[in-house]
Amino acid sequence: MGGNGPVLEAVGLRKRFGDLEAVRGVGFTIDPGETYGLLGPNGAGKTTTISMVSGLLEKDAGEVTIAGLPVTTTALEPKRLVGLVPQEVAIYPDLTARENLRFFGRLYEMTGKALAQRIDEVLAVIGLSDRADDRAKDFSGGMKRRLNIGIGLLHRPALLILDEPTVGVDPQSRNAILESIEELSAEGMAVLYTTHYMEEAERLCDRVGIIDQGEIRAEGTRRQLVESIGEQDRLRIEASGPLREVSARLGELPGVTGTSAGDGVVEVLADDGGAILSPALALLAAAGVAVSSVTIEEPDLEAVFLHLTGKALRD
Amino acid sequence: MKVLAIVAAALRRFVRERSNVFFVFILPLGIILLIGVQFGGEFRPTVGVHLAPGAGPVGTEVVRILGATDEVQVRAYDTEAELVDAVELGGLAAGVTVPGDLEATLAAGGAGEVGFVARPDGTGPQLAVVVQEAVAAATDTIAAARAAVELGVDPAAALELADSVEDAVPEIIVTTTTTGEELFAGVEGRFDTGAAGQLVLFTFLTGLAGSADLIQSRTLGVTRRIMGTPTSVGTIVTGEAMGRFAVVFAQALYILVATLLLFRVDWGDPVAAAAILVTFSAVGAGAAMLMGALFRNDAQAGSVGIMAGIGLAGIGGAMLPLELFSPTMQTVARFTPHAWALDAFAETVRRDGIVVDILPQLGVLAAFAVVLIAVASWRMRIVVTRA
Repeated sequence: MGGNGPVLEAVGLRKRFGDLEAVRGVGFTIDPGETYGLLGPNGAGKTTTISMVSGLLEKDAGEVTIAGLPVTTTALEPKRLVGLVPQEVAIYPDLTARENLRFFGRLYEMTGKALAQRIDEVLAVIGLSDRADDRAKDFSGGMKRRLNIGIGLLHRPALLILDEPTVGVDPQSRNAILESIEELSAEGMAVLYTTHYMEEAERLCDRVGIIDQGEIRAEGTRRQLVESIGEQDRLRIEASGPLREVSARLGELPGVTGTSAGDGVVEVLADDGGAILSPALALLAAAGVAVSSVTIEEPDLEAVFLHLTGKALRD
Repeated sequence: MKVLAIVAAALRRFVRERSNVFFVFILPLGIILLIGVQFGGEFRPTVGVHLAPGAGPVGTEVVRILGATDEVQVRAYDTEAELVDAVELGGLAAGVTVPGDLEATLAAGGAGEVGFVARPDGTGPQLAVVVQEAVAAATDTIAAARAAVELGVDPAAALELADSVEDAVPEIIVTTTTTGEELFAGVEGRFDTGAAGQLVLFTFLTGLAGSADLIQSRTLGVTRRIMGTPTSVGTIVTGEAMGRFAVVFAQALYILVATLLLFRVDWGDPVAAAAILVTFSAVGAGAAMLMGALFRNDAQAGSVGIMAGIGLAGIGGAMLPLELFSPTMQTVARFTPHAWALDAFAETVRRDGIVVDILPQLGVLAAFAVVLIAVASWRMRIVVTRA
């Protein structure tokens, strides 16, 4: 790899299909060990972007480098550094899990005992060791998805690209997949993850690029994105006592931007709900208010997306 | 290495496909067996005989003479109705009924009648001649004795005289000679006739059917995923071509070896047979690649492949021997690789040819293969990069 620079650097990517400009100047970087999410609805340009990044699709404009190596459809060297997990389950159903892994392992130039050993490791990671010699067509949807991911991990890539890997997967398998990705990320693998599931992006990604209609509308950590649109945390306190009086005093706490009191409920708007929780509870106790429950509602990426595009992620 | 990985995957998928167990391994041998049983080897039609009570020694003699000929085999029936039914239903090529009064009629100097039953189609007319000869042979002595009686000889002495005359008459043998080339000279085993045709038919058919695997790889996204590995387009296309070749060659080799071992089919010179198999398999692989690159879904490729496979086999002489084609159709057949492969097999099997004797046929097959593989590779490069 090229020194301490980003694993992936994409600049000004453009792609047009006939009259449709699917990707319009997309650019982002991913550092080693970082998980970067491309969050956007179906048709936003995520898969087209990934196809250009992984050298499957010719770019109309822009540059992609992986560990400093320019990516083109014919360049083989950068492809050695990438593990691609496509959206579709791209495996041979007539072959066993082990045979599928062996096939792709050979295409990644792995051989002999090293390949056999790595296959066993990957089977363990994806939880298919006990089904290694069963044909893939007999697997459940979740198991096929896990095998699909396992193929991308075989050659220990510097960058793992996952294109909506949990589409159509049951909750249990989905959780297993997400846990695997978290472990890989913890081990230092850079991950590019596309999804239209807000919860997955929030759980996995260090940084998120919100993409819509072929453009990245905003980029940053979850907190940065939320702050960028001025959205605030909301403390909802269910209590009994002099709520209207205490509500005014809560508004004087640092970081609080607004309060309201209703029937048995006080709501507090703050930049950081967690930071004011403790002083707020102390103030309530001192005022003789009996608190029955407190919830902190943080603004999520769904709210960010709605703010940026005027539509929901699943529209 | 990568090419071998793609070839190994193609072969594994081919073997794993359950329907192939029947269509690739059982059906070709079944058809060769069927053709061998029906048309191969010696064939003697069966003639049924019903002797009515009282038919006497003459009737028995008719049956004996018929049974002694090489042309037919004889089966006895108890009733005339059973015999007629058997002829009508095709169980017998013909039937002979000998009436109960034949002996008495002949003894009284009358004209005896023997019945002959046959279907209007088939070998009936030819068998009538065989039966007439047998009846004539059985009644010659009686006819001669009757002539002697009419000349005033005592009846008992006339019969002895007729017997002795029959022995004394010199036998006249009609010598038959044939002219022109026998259609299937050199074909000795009963399964040899159909084996080459079926090998060519099924080898090509399996190749075309296998094109569905290429399409399935694309529709499953596997081809696209392979493009995401450090594997060049050239390696992918070469691997797929070699994979198709391996599958087609495996089918051809299986039919050859299985028929050799099970049915003792004569495939002629082994080197020549191997050369035909290799070149024809290359043609099949090229055709499979082209179909795999042209069609968008495997159902399309499957149905067109079967039509094309059977159609080309029919035109190319794999179903009906080329020798039975009209001159025009023989010319048309030359546009199919099947005809050239069959011609090569005819040369090596029937005329004991070796590789040098079939170089023209091998050359044409190689040309077919080169053109098909070149066009298919060009098309596949486009399809693979778009996958």
